[in-house]
Amino acid sequence: MGRTSKVKLLSKAKPGLTGLIRSPIKWLIVNVVAWVIGVLWILPFVGLFMTSVRPFGEVAVYGWWSIHPFTFTLKNYYNALFNPMFSLAKGFINSLIIAVPSTIIPVILAALAAYAFARFSFPIKNYLFIMMLFLMAVPQQMTIIPIFFMLNNMHLLNTYLGLILVHSSWGIPWITFFLRNYFSLLPKELEEIARVDGASNREIFFRIVLPVSLPGIISAAVLQFAWVWNDFFFALMLIYDPNKMVITQMLPRLKGQYQVDWGLLSAGSILAMSVPILVYVLLNKYYITGFRGWAMKR
Amino acid sequence: MPEAAGIKVERLSRVFPPNVIALRSVNLEIKPGEFFVILGPSGSGKTTLLRIIAGLEVPTEGRVVIGGKVVVDAEEGIYVEPKDRDIGMVFQNWALYPHMTAYDNIAFPLRIKKLPKEEIDRRVRSVAEALGISELLDRKPTHMSGGQQQRVAVARALVKQPKVLLLDEPFSNLDARIRVSAREFVKELQRKLGITTILVTHDQADAFAVGDRVAVLRNGVIQQVGTPDELYDEPVNVFVANFIGDPPMNIVKVVSNHEVIKSLGLTDLVKGNEYVYVGIRPDEAVASSNSVDTHLSGEVVLIEHAGSRRYARVRTDVGLTLKVLADEGLVEGGRAYVRIKKMHLFSEGGSRITTLKL
Amino acid sequence: MSRRDYVSRKLMAKVGGPLLSRITFLIPGLILVFTFVVYPVVATILLSFNINPIIGVNVVGNRPIGFINYYRILTNFEFINTYGLRTLSFPMGAIIHNIIWIAIHLPLTVIIGLLLAVMLQNVRGGFIIRSLIFLGMVVPMIVGGLLIEYSFDKFLGVVNIFLRLIGLGFLAKSWTIYPNTALFALILGSVWLWTGFTLTLYSAGIASLPKEVIEAAIIDGAGFWTILRKVIIPLLKPVTVTVVAMTILWDLKIFDIVYASTRGGPGGASMVLALLMYSYFARAQDYATSAAVATILTLITIPVVVVWMRMTLKGVSE
Repeated sequence: MGRTSKVKLLSKAKPGLTGLIRSPIKWLIVNVVAWVIGVLWILPFVGLFMTSVRPFGEVAVYGWWSIHPFTFTLKNYYNALFNPMFSLAKGFINSLIIAVPSTIIPVILAALAAYAFARFSFPIKNYLFIMMLFLMAVPQQMTIIPIFFMLNNMHLLNTYLGLILVHSSWGIPWITFFLRNYFSLLPKELEEIARVDGASNREIFFRIVLPVSLPGIISAAVLQFAWVWNDFFFALMLIYDPNKMVITQMLPRLKGQYQVDWGLLSAGSILAMSVPILVYVLLNKYYITGFRGWAMKR
Repeated sequence: MPEAAGIKVERLSRVFPPNVIALRSVNLEIKPGEFFVILGPSGSGKTTLLRIIAGLEVPTEGRVVIGGKVVVDAEEGIYVEPKDRDIGMVFQNWALYPHMTAYDNIAFPLRIKKLPKEEIDRRVRSVAEALGISELLDRKPTHMSGGQQQRVAVARALVKQPKVLLLDEPFSNLDARIRVSAREFVKELQRKLGITTILVTHDQADAFAVGDRVAVLRNGVIQQVGTPDELYDEPVNVFVANFIGDPPMNIVKVVSNHEVIKSLGLTDLVKGNEYVYVGIRPDEAVASSNSVDTHLSGEVVLIEHAGSRRYARVRTDVGLTLKVLADEGLVEGGRAYVRIKKMHLFSEGGSRITTLKL
Repeated sequence: MSRRDYVSRKLMAKVGGPLLSRITFLIPGLILVFTFVVYPVVATILLSFNINPIIGVNVVGNRPIGFINYYRILTNFEFINTYGLRTLSFPMGAIIHNIIWIAIHLPLTVIIGLLLAVMLQNVRGGFIIRSLIFLGMVVPMIVGGLLIEYSFDKFLGVVNIFLRLIGLGFLAKSWTIYPNTALFALILGSVWLWTGFTLTLYSAGIASLPKEVIEAAIIDGAGFWTILRKVIIPLLKPVTVTVVAMTILWDLKIFDIVYASTRGGPGGASMVLALLMYSYFARAQDYATSAAVATILTLITIPVVVVWMRMTLKGVSE
């Protein structure tokens, strides 16, 4: 490697742990390996995508990687979206109908509760908080049977409202935990001066705290939305009408009894994951900080 | 402006568990319309005291009365919320709502009270006018300088025409240059409005510039309450003497049978003390090359310049080293004769025994 | 002192406004949580002992109250298959499968995540690579399961393509339809999915390490692996605690991936606890036993959570 290129590589290397990789050759190797890993890592996605835009007949014979013959088609997507039994177009809308309220409701209710835990003193506060912590770890399987019968009694089984209530309730513990940590890091001054200015708790919360905590709130909302959209188990247990099924539910049903049409399935999968990936790309900052914040501390 | 209110602080104590005593039986009486300063070093409890008066904290003992109304009483379990105490407050770092314009910040207390829009507009604009920030009303706090933010914070505190104004170290965050004009501004404003004001600070220059009366606080205990002049001329103990005044008073520990004591005929006064503290303000003693009518002589160790004045650090022959005003003609290393105009004597325990005018 | 403290505490609470105002913040959230989370948890436990948890609904039939459901599960071959254990062939029972899952998945994702995190610190565009790896965490796990199944397809799957490329073509088959390989396929696939999580957390952890310590080690002449072992890993202990806890919990609760690809088959070779619970509910309609499986699953997660909380709350910097 020539002199000038060695110098260039060294200067481009970032500080921090770079000191660990001292020779520019090693640095180059590391970069190449990293990118190779990155590309290989998404190969399954690539394969899935390729399968979705080609007729499965072709893929089954020549493989999704073949360049020749190559027929580009959107038929798989069409079949998935307008499938007679499990129309993913409807599934898409159903997922939205469920996910949006199931994000708004718990975020607001949990924010209120989180604020109380962060700022107020009240009886049995610590017990309630510990209870919330434990609830976060409980698996969905632990609640679903009584919920099933409860909703049935309330005539909310197989309804949007029923599923929304279940998702909202399920989200409250972790969002409360998440936002409580967030609120407790806000400097108290704004709230105190608002108190002197005459504002009540309600006014302080909605007019001062919420606007100032918007980043944290959005992070929580983004994560909750993704979680609800991606959910399968609650929907599986509580929704039966194919017209009301969410998109994740429909996917396994697109599998045939004897033969799997991967063209159909891959298109359906891409459709199902389009929304969470879009959210991840557009709201990346909130997604990642939310993720870290939740999985870390206290 | 409504009638100004007086404030009474009675036996106020605040203990933070496990055993931090922030305030120890503080008693204060603040007169209506007075500009009262609570002065003390950090950790003295002054901010805690202000916050208890404001209602952001509660005492473990004692009570506070504002305008004749008991706002908090630890023994009786009475607590009135800040919003019902008719007070306005300014924090050290202004605490302006960052997502609102100056107008909205100032209007906030009025909107909470649900006043009609025209009334709000009128009051906000008149307060902004009085504080000279009318052009800033559309700006958000991030687009304002420290001095401007402070005025907005003051406007917000005053717009609801409270009976009492509380200021927590309002000048600490300002550049030294604008600090002086800010002090004058606040003093002027207070005089015009006549509103009872309590200002908390660690800077004794603040106290002098604006205070009608000053309370000196140390480790939760009130040391002395008086006008700035009283504190300057008749400090009740070594701590106050040293804390007030710039440059700080020379405080030298001498044995009771020191020459200086004897030569001034103070032996009787210092009886019962093994040693005493002699206090001489730099501005109340002069060193010159003229030996007529002087009390001490010594060598000039250092000359310091402070604006229009010069100070000399003199190592006297009797062993005391003092910083005093320096006459012209005095040079480092040269001989100096010190004439003391005023001297304080403090006991072993620190309390003042007497003050001599020489 | 104590009487004074007590008065102060009640008085102090009032600084936050009247009690009703404070409690109102909690009430709506608590109502939902108690109705749809707390009560169901308690009810499930009751149900597992054959106690009818919901008024008017006879879910249990005529079974006696007691541990009978637990006994039946623990001796059921779907839960633990002694034959499979003895012959080391699948199926070995749901709980064994979960344990194997943790045994393979946990070390792999932690180590790979850590190494990648270290590596990607110095790489141009490292955050793009991190984002690509993280995609596995973004997509629904149902899709994840399908992706795994597809990747292990005999002809079309990337895994088998790769095996053929490196000359191990004899291993190529549709892993998910054979009892002895189904579980492993799912586990390896889940490593591919979950590494994004460990990578993200370790990356954040590494980025917040004090650089001076590492630089001091470099000056002292320590090599890369030494620094990694003796400096970086110990400093990352708090992150590791959380990563390990979260990973174990995820491995215990795994459902979607298995449902999408194998439904627990073939012949129960990839059955996991959560799926077993579902199976009792949906296929056998044996709600009480299903509740018992759920309770067993939760009981296993509790020690993990408790240890995690203890270690995080105490501050792991010992």
